[in-house]
Amino acid sequence: MATVSDLKITELKLSEAEGGKWGMVIDQDICTGCQACVAACAMENNIPFVGDEDSGYGRSMHWIRIERFWEGEYPEVKMTPNQPMLCQQCGSATCEPVCPAFATVHSQAEQLNLQVYNRCVGTRYCANNCPYQVRSFNWRDYQRPEPLPNQFNPDVTVRRRGVMEKCTFCIQRIHKAQDKAKSEGREVVDGEFTAACAQACPANAITFGRIDDPESLVSQLSKQAHGVKHLEELGTFPHITYFKGG
Amino acid sequence: MTYDKKEKKVVHAEHHAHGDDHFREKHLMLDPLPRGQMNDMVMESMTEPPTWKFWLVFGILSVIVAYGLFYSWARLIIEGVGIAGVNRPSYWGIFLVNTVFWIGISHAGTFISAILRVFRAEFRRPFTRAAELMTTFGLVQAGFSIFMHLGRVWLFYWLLPYPNERMLWPNMHSPLSWDLIAITTYLLSSTMYLFLPLIPDLAMARDKSTGWRKIFYRTLALGFRGTEGEWAHLRNAMNIFAWAIIPVMFSVHTIVSWDFAAATRPGWNSTIFGPYFIVGALHSGMGAVIVVLAIIRATMKNMKYFIRPEHFDAIGKLMLVISMGWAYFFFNDYMVQWYGGDKWTKQLLHFHEGGPLGWMWFAMLICNIAIPWAVLWNPKWRSIPWLVSMVGIFINVGMWLERYIIIPISLTINRMPFTWRMYTPGIEIPLGIGTLAFFCLLYMAASKLIPLIPVWEVQEGQMAHKLTKYGRETVVTVSELE
Amino acid sequence: MSEQFSRRDFLKLAGVGAATTAILTGCGPASRYVKREPYMQMPEYNYNGQSTYYATTCRECAAGCGLVVRTIQGRAIKTEGNASNPLNLGKTCARGQATLHGLYNPDRVTDPIKRARGNTAYFNVDWDSATQTVADALKNYKPEEIAFLMGTAPDHLFDFVSDLAAATGINAPVRFGALSMFEARATLSKAAENLFGKAGLPFFDIGGAQVVFSFGSNFLETWLSPVSYTRGFVGLREAKTKKRGYLVQFESRMSQTGGKADEWIPLKPGTEALVALAIGRLALESRGGALPRAFADVDPADAAAKSGVSLETLERLAVMFASTASLAIPGGPSLGRSNGLAVAEAVLALNAVPDNFGKPGGVYLSALAPNETEYHRPASTQEMQEFVQKMADGKFKVLFIHGVNPVFELPRSIDFKAALSGVEQVISFATFPDETALEADYVFPDHHGLESWGYQRVATGSAQPVLSGAQPVVSPFYNTRATIDVLLAAAQLAGGEFATAMPFKDEVEFLHSKLVPLMEETGGSFAAVDINTFAAYFQQHGGWWKLAGALEAPDTADVLNHDLNGEEPEFAEGEFFLVPFVSPTLAEAGANKPWLQELPDPTTTVMWSTWVEINPETAHELGVENEDLVKIVSEFGEIEAAVYKYPAIRPDTIAVPFGQGHTAYGRYAENRGANPADLFGSQMNEAGDLTFAGVKVKIEKTGKKLPIPRLESIMGVYGEALGKEHE
Repeated sequence: MATVSDLKITELKLSEAEGGKWGMVIDQDICTGCQACVAACAMENNIPFVGDEDSGYGRSMHWIRIERFWEGEYPEVKMTPNQPMLCQQCGSATCEPVCPAFATVHSQAEQLNLQVYNRCVGTRYCANNCPYQVRSFNWRDYQRPEPLPNQFNPDVTVRRRGVMEKCTFCIQRIHKAQDKAKSEGREVVDGEFTAACAQACPANAITFGRIDDPESLVSQLSKQAHGVKHLEELGTFPHITYFKGG
Repeated sequence: MTYDKKEKKVVHAEHHAHGDDHFREKHLMLDPLPRGQMNDMVMESMTEPPTWKFWLVFGILSVIVAYGLFYSWARLIIEGVGIAGVNRPSYWGIFLVNTVFWIGISHAGTFISAILRVFRAEFRRPFTRAAELMTTFGLVQAGFSIFMHLGRVWLFYWLLPYPNERMLWPNMHSPLSWDLIAITTYLLSSTMYLFLPLIPDLAMARDKSTGWRKIFYRTLALGFRGTEGEWAHLRNAMNIFAWAIIPVMFSVHTIVSWDFAAATRPGWNSTIFGPYFIVGALHSGMGAVIVVLAIIRATMKNMKYFIRPEHFDAIGKLMLVISMGWAYFFFNDYMVQWYGGDKWTKQLLHFHEGGPLGWMWFAMLICNIAIPWAVLWNPKWRSIPWLVSMVGIFINVGMWLERYIIIPISLTINRMPFTWRMYTPGIEIPLGIGTLAFFCLLYMAASKLIPLIPVWEVQEGQMAHKLTKYGRETVVTVSELE
Repeated sequence: MSEQFSRRDFLKLAGVGAATTAILTGCGPASRYVKREPYMQMPEYNYNGQSTYYATTCRECAAGCGLVVRTIQGRAIKTEGNASNPLNLGKTCARGQATLHGLYNPDRVTDPIKRARGNTAYFNVDWDSATQTVADALKNYKPEEIAFLMGTAPDHLFDFVSDLAAATGINAPVRFGALSMFEARATLSKAAENLFGKAGLPFFDIGGAQVVFSFGSNFLETWLSPVSYTRGFVGLREAKTKKRGYLVQFESRMSQTGGKADEWIPLKPGTEALVALAIGRLALESRGGALPRAFADVDPADAAAKSGVSLETLERLAVMFASTASLAIPGGPSLGRSNGLAVAEAVLALNAVPDNFGKPGGVYLSALAPNETEYHRPASTQEMQEFVQKMADGKFKVLFIHGVNPVFELPRSIDFKAALSGVEQVISFATFPDETALEADYVFPDHHGLESWGYQRVATGSAQPVLSGAQPVVSPFYNTRATIDVLLAAAQLAGGEFATAMPFKDEVEFLHSKLVPLMEETGGSFAAVDINTFAAYFQQHGGWWKLAGALEAPDTADVLNHDLNGEEPEFAEGEFFLVPFVSPTLAEAGANKPWLQELPDPTTTVMWSTWVEINPETAHELGVENEDLVKIVSEFGEIEAAVYKYPAIRPDTIAVPFGQGHTAYGRYAENRGANPADLFGSQMNEAGDLTFAGVKVKIEKTGKKLPIPRLESIMGVYGEALGKEHE
């Protein structure tokens, strides 16, 4: 029998999962599908390219992908609004409990889903269990011939074969901004930094920031009535709000 | 001393002047031979020098194992899982199909042995050993398959709860962790359970052999001499194990099913998966046992005495019942998922039947239901070893297809239609064939090293069985042994 | 590092350091003249984990977006948009992001080389003999026998060669780029000249409009300045201060712009002018009053019949267009036909209906860049054809090529490769081993854009006149040399007129000379009294721009009194209209960057290959399926490509992206896909642009399959192979 205090604890946990710390708002109406975010993400996060064969076989490693569907038949055919799909940084993530090695865990400090590359043994259970299908696996050691590795971002681990990876909300940028703010004795200011995808987006369709700060742009946007969260019904508490097109 | 059909009549005529031959011909338990002779028959089947055919098959299997299992696995480890067929969204493929398949196979051994032992089903006696060996050897293949699946198999020990300075433990929230514990427990307990009834036979073999075999059996027999005290301890231990291993067995396949049922995926998230998987495992396991028995009977010396059509008949009945059970659970699973009307599940069910691999779905139903039902209802057909073992093969194909449908085919459909993609196996195929060959190889080696027939159990049964005349009626009576 | 540490090297390092320091700490530009220090002791290289940021200009296309590049310990790590550059305001496109894969490309030309033309084997030469070779080429031939062919970027090199040409009598440099060919810049400029009496690139203030009719202009993907036009699109859509704007796209193959449009009108290729005129007439009729000469002749019913757009639709659109602040934009394949100029004029004239000329949300003429006196456009294809003819006729004995790859970019019907045989000496300054460099006698590689000095004039896209500045963000990775330095040194060696023509010690001094006039101007983003300070600011900010907008209102007095022509174009023989479009991720020079190859095309999500888009109905009739390899045959050539059943294309039209089909250009580009330019003829429209969309083609089956990697799921997106129709 659940007692009243038990229920309170559950509620508390749920509200924590729902709340979160970092969040994103994506406006599908103005996303043009130009792939700048995809390229920016790859450059920032040392994501390997996999070549034509593997990319055609569903092994491309984009951490963010832009989905579009079709509605209707020619000539009344329409492209659905572009939908950038990336890790939703769920408050109650389905990927986390299923990892037998604790390689994907919830960060208490940042309220993000972390992927600990070094701890991953590659069961790929997390990827199966991710309803958003946004995890990418290092199927091979994808070679980047010299001198391409000169471009590697030293703030981001380079992953080897057999390891799962996914969008981190550019946690290296979060930490850098926090360290800087701390050394200057202040809080991180909204808009002081942003994720690589949001920074590149020529349409400004991606807004990133603190959703636990009611003053921040992202939390104000995410409160708008036409925002939706994907697969919310699964109880994952995704931290990305989408504005559908039209 | 040979045993075949022609001589049988002569033998019978000598020993049983009173008739009732059809009982004896039919039932091993009613057809006793002198203990020494029976022991010799078992020893002979084991120790006779292998024929060139044996070596040929052994050689071919070894080559397949060397290439399919070891070379291909080395490549898999060095080059990465990319040379397999897994992709987004089918992150799991044939490696896990094979894992579930081999765990299923391994089920039958314990089922036959433990359940039948607990319920005192007498027909079990000659083939418990063959079935238990399947458990152990099948689990070895399952272990191989799951390790092949890992992206970084060299770190597999991170999945084990071993003490370490960083206080890092496996995540006990993960069904995979439960799985690992369940399978390990099952492997250990089933190996023990295989070993205990083996002790008297090893002691027998020790007494009847020379040279390296003597040393081998002496070591394994643990000094068993057959005193009353030893028998009492052994029976006790076997009894405990037989009872204890049943829940373990149920838990293993239930937990295997939770790997799927606990996930938030259409087609997987189903509460009936536990029993459904257990019945499925028994289905394939029984099918495998019957194939093994048919092969043993056909290829090994003196086995036609021990393994008789009555056994095929008895197992055939079980197979029929299990097939019906499987059909029941299948229907249950399908019905509830379909009725639920979730749009992704609906799409998945359509995909199962009408997708590019829809033939698999129909083949599964034919192999698992239509063929067993069509053949096994008839006592005559049921007693034909080759026919029943063909059914066994079909059931195994069907059950393999079932797991293939549950894993890579169901993974194709998820809640993100943008990612739906088919799975095409790569190096899984040589590796899968490699595990099968390794299973056969282990069996062949075992047939030359340990008595495949638990001869003491047969003799014990024969002692307990008697033909008694009540008036004109001849009745089989079984006396309580313990 | 060599003992001879030139002033240029010194400036490079010092400037680089100073610009950063200034950006990061706000130090004055005086710190630019730091003491010469060994490389390893420069403070910004001494702190592990400390990034330094340099402002520069993107060279992936000619738009001139400002970049800020993050570097660590001498390596470039990440490019971001320069937030203060008025053109891109901190944003970049995918190509700008991937420019680092050009810098660190494994297939760069690492040393000056000499080769037998067309032969992949080569041998290295040293820079002294390379300079001597250039000097000999300048000295040993008559000035009129020396020609420069250059790309659309960078502008400072073009200015240098132009000045050199003016001083020595060699041929003025000719610039070309496939992008400007597909954008039909000459047509746009000519249409502006015809209608407004002044040549120039029109600027369309999409963001300020309420309704936008785009006639094939793919401004979200590749057109003119996609980053800034995307901003315009966002302005159109965002409903902060006004109603959410409405975009209607008229084109026969849905581009990404069409995909984002609220309405997509698949008119028959070539009827854009007719439709524009019909809409103009219907719109004016809906308002009542006399019809001006421009729209008087068109018969809307006839236009509807010919274009395949129903009269009701035309009327509805016309009313919509007439009733609010609307804007019509010409562009894309509709200009690349024999009636291209008429289309451009008709669509531009349509803007007379809302009379938006020179008003917010309307049509302007782009501002001239700060050091530009009149609009300069790259060569039209016709001018290129004349240039190639001169090469073939042996009029040019020496050809210098920089920043362009005409063997790949020009259609095969204008056979640049064959014409090269008429040139005695071909010297390429290519950074990458492209097809043209393969056909050159020498390749004296220039630095990569991120290793270079320079500037780029922003031709269009910003209301403010902008001169984007470039500086090296890393020291050169290979044994390459700035082309201006090579030319300066060679000019000294050549002696005579050359020795005195360009009195500069090095590239930086030349750049400074070009910046000096800006110091006089008022209203700039910064000011300084001495050139060194000014130049340091220029590097630091990534350029110089006027603070106030300077868009020019076109003179529209005469617009409606023109005779506008709605006739349909002529097409070369064939069955299907061919719509070639530029891949927004690869364009003409992206194919060698692996991450650009791996980016899905926005419309089809295809990676790493070439495809041909066919309407599913047509594919069914032809009996071809997805990934069937088909041969596309035009009067002028043929290519093979795999079928992509594209639901948003007219059944009588097929489309092929431009960007792949390289035969050289490094491991990631070579022997991959096909080049639709092989199908083009050499007919020009009235403005001299190639009628690249003016061919019709036949499709032949080959019976082969060719997998095309795509990100999307054929099952999930098209409902194929699902067992039941996908909802």
